[in-house]
Amino acid sequence: MSKTPSSRPLVTFDGVSKRYGSVTAVHTMNLEIYEGEFLAIMGPSGCGKTTSLRMLAGLEEPSEGEIRLDGQRINEISSIERDTPMVWQSLALFPFLNVQKNVEFGLKMRSIPAEERQQRARTWLERMEILELADRDISQLSGGQKQRVALARSLVTEPRILLLDEPLSALDANLVVRMQGVLSRLQKELGITFVYVTHSQSEAFAMSDRVVIMSQGQIDQIGSPKAIYRSPASRFVADFVGANNILSGSVIGTGTELSLNTAVGEFRCQANGYEAFSTGDTLDMVISADLVQISMEDPGTQNSLHCRFISEEFVGSIVTIFAELEDGSDFKVQARQRDLASMSLEEGVAFFASWSATDTHLISRGQD
Amino acid sequence: MSTKPSKNILLRGYVVLVFIFVFTPILTSFVFSVNSDRFPTIPLGHFTTHWYETIFADPDVWDAFRISGIVSITVAILATFIGFCTAYTDYRYNFTGKALYLSLALLPPTIPLVIMGLAMLALLARINMSGEIYSIVVSHVVLCSPFAMAVIRMRLAQIDPNLESAAWNLGASNWRAMREVIVPFCLPAIASAFCLTAAVSFDEFAVAWFVSGLNKTVPVIILEILQGNTDPQINAIGSIVFITSMTLVVLAQLILMRKTINQTTTGI
Amino acid sequence: MARTQNSPSDPVTKQRRQVTLYGLTWSMPIVIWQLIFFVFPLIFLFLISFWLVKNYRMVPGFDTINWVKMFSKGYFWDAYWRTLGYAGVATVVTSILAFPCAFALAFKVSPKVRRWALFFLIVPFFTSYLVRAYSWQIFLNDNGIFNTLFALIGLGPFQLLNNFFGTLVGYLTLCLPLVVVLQLTSLANVDRTLIEAAHNLGCGRLRTVFQVIIPLAKIGIILGAVFTFILSFGDFVSPYYLGGSKPPTLSILIIDTTKSGQQWPRAAVVAIVMILTLLTIMFASVAAAYRKRA
Repeated sequence: MSKTPSSRPLVTFDGVSKRYGSVTAVHTMNLEIYEGEFLAIMGPSGCGKTTSLRMLAGLEEPSEGEIRLDGQRINEISSIERDTPMVWQSLALFPFLNVQKNVEFGLKMRSIPAEERQQRARTWLERMEILELADRDISQLSGGQKQRVALARSLVTEPRILLLDEPLSALDANLVVRMQGVLSRLQKELGITFVYVTHSQSEAFAMSDRVVIMSQGQIDQIGSPKAIYRSPASRFVADFVGANNILSGSVIGTGTELSLNTAVGEFRCQANGYEAFSTGDTLDMVISADLVQISMEDPGTQNSLHCRFISEEFVGSIVTIFAELEDGSDFKVQARQRDLASMSLEEGVAFFASWSATDTHLISRGQD
Repeated sequence: MSTKPSKNILLRGYVVLVFIFVFTPILTSFVFSVNSDRFPTIPLGHFTTHWYETIFADPDVWDAFRISGIVSITVAILATFIGFCTAYTDYRYNFTGKALYLSLALLPPTIPLVIMGLAMLALLARINMSGEIYSIVVSHVVLCSPFAMAVIRMRLAQIDPNLESAAWNLGASNWRAMREVIVPFCLPAIASAFCLTAAVSFDEFAVAWFVSGLNKTVPVIILEILQGNTDPQINAIGSIVFITSMTLVVLAQLILMRKTINQTTTGI
Repeated sequence: MARTQNSPSDPVTKQRRQVTLYGLTWSMPIVIWQLIFFVFPLIFLFLISFWLVKNYRMVPGFDTINWVKMFSKGYFWDAYWRTLGYAGVATVVTSILAFPCAFALAFKVSPKVRRWALFFLIVPFFTSYLVRAYSWQIFLNDNGIFNTLFALIGLGPFQLLNNFFGTLVGYLTLCLPLVVVLQLTSLANVDRTLIEAAHNLGCGRLRTVFQVIIPLAKIGIILGAVFTFILSFGDFVSPYYLGGSKPPTLSILIIDTTKSGQQWPRAAVVAIVMILTLLTIMFASVAAAYRKRA
């Protein structure tokens, strides 16, 4: 199965809204989900991502708009009749059934004869590498094993789409990475659509073909992980995704590059689409923390900033440095640990942060 | 997730039916306690306070209320104390044989009252202790302490387990921590358990019937009237018993609820 | 009794393993009280089942005659099976009638309504059972309210009192609210995502009730059934005042044997048999309730 999704939408959200009393959880959502793609829906809690997924599963009914599966309106079709299996955050395994019976459940509901049922369940248990657990009770399983049972239970009916609602959030970090691998591989092998709701950027970006960023019931941006990472469409996305620095300012000169005046100095910028702005426009300049170099001397030639070191955080070989600018705002720099070895950074030490004029991204303030 | 509304209406109608079944006999008793007919049926006769006048003119009934009052208050004090001790033991300690200990504490309500009455009377008669007010009291404490324990245990389940340790840590002895921390925390449940056990004792007729002898409680009087002919006096006494019990139960509920509301509004 | 603290993680409490005066003060009252006034009377009851009655007075002794006599009497066995049957029917009927009500209160009403319903279901527990039974007499007797109403539409009269129907109405009065409460408590704790998961996997609504909800609420349902069985097995008010006392149940047999016949040892035999039956049923049900899987 190729990474590029087919162009035919399997699911269409057409102006879908969901209201609970006076609260709008999802606001006129338009979204096409393609056959065979791994789509992540990501956003802070309460952004409407889970509600969208539940509407797709038929567990909530849209207040407005239409959801189509394969071109057919499914608003009125109950969850029971839809073939949109879901994996819950809590996994929702039946505690009174053993592993095998849990996996067989969906087949039993489809009146598949017992023998075939058992056969198919065992095939899936084997595929998930948990065949030896078939007779265990759910309470005897580890977190990762439960995860595999839940996947097998949802996939055993061979659906065209699988919905996942933060399924990895209960696992510890090591297991999350392993299960991400399992999910990615599974999705590629099966070639079916996965819709994956999460608040975790690393999960969303590691597995998905496309990412949907939501906030306050609305879609902020849809795009490939890379597009979202490098070209956030709004200040919210820039803040929410990755480790971005945002400098607000106004344009004071145009030409082969923009000149931008901010509270902490003047900067040059040649980001994609910079030609569209003219003098006097106010905008946000996004500088990804991993595209910033640091030095103890002023590099002079590039955009550079005077910072004061506050603290650092290590994740593997990557260091994130938290610094303060002259006006008191925060600035982040990500670098490899060995590149910093020669520097003696400690609290209060001043250094320079610099970046290339092309390594920036511009967001018009109007887009906020 | 919406079921057909017709199905929901059917279910709700059924719930109403169940409540009608449960409350019909209770309300009927009130209605016929002020109805003039000797043999109650419909259509109703006229309003009368005759049956209340009859029972209040009867010294036996006054006596019964006095005895019931003494019994239920004494029982409530003892049962609440024992229930508290047991609940605290269950909350605080683990020991071998705890399952046995708890069965001993909680088993009495599963033994049929007739058998309890029979066994109590057999024993008490043998040691010349039957037919006295305290004969009723000791048997009722056996029956009521499990209820008191359950109510107080539920309250103890909400206690922050570090609260007692914190008190010890601050230098309080076990006894001091009990007085300063545990008892104040359980006070609403203790009051509630007191009312509930008083109500249970006030209503209990089978064991009381066996062991009371001449010291009849109110329910025993009712039982004896019931064995005779139909007599609307029962409704009058029953209504008074109901109001007494309900006052106690509502009181218990209010004490518990006010405490919970206070905590949810002032807490966090 | 070796004591350990409830919170083993707490270093302060860990050292206090020995028996203390403090611990004894709280643990002993119930032991002492229940041993003297609960266990001992029951043991005594067992003992007098071997005593003899001479000139209307009990004489201590050891004679199995009471057991032999009772077990050889047809009326005893009739009463035994009848009581067992009554209690069994009451258990099934009450559980089935309670379930839709508990289900509706658990899933179809707001939490506020549920709290009020719970309160009103506890109320009858504190009203006189005797008075309620008497009220049913007013409704059920041959000239009672129901038959008067039936007569208006040209039906009846039906015999509603002094038969098993009357007894069953009494058992329901005694047990139904309690069973609804127990079932409701269990149902309200059912994890809603499991119900959604069942729907999501294609399990129809009614089927979900049987395949998912009932297994999840098993403990409350069994507990309710056990309580109904215990209460109706031992109750004498319903079979006596609503069922007409004849033919007798075991509890009526006990009352008749003691109050009129002074045959205490034989009543003790009946009582012991009843207790053993109840204990057997209870242990079997608890085992069933907490067994891992069906």
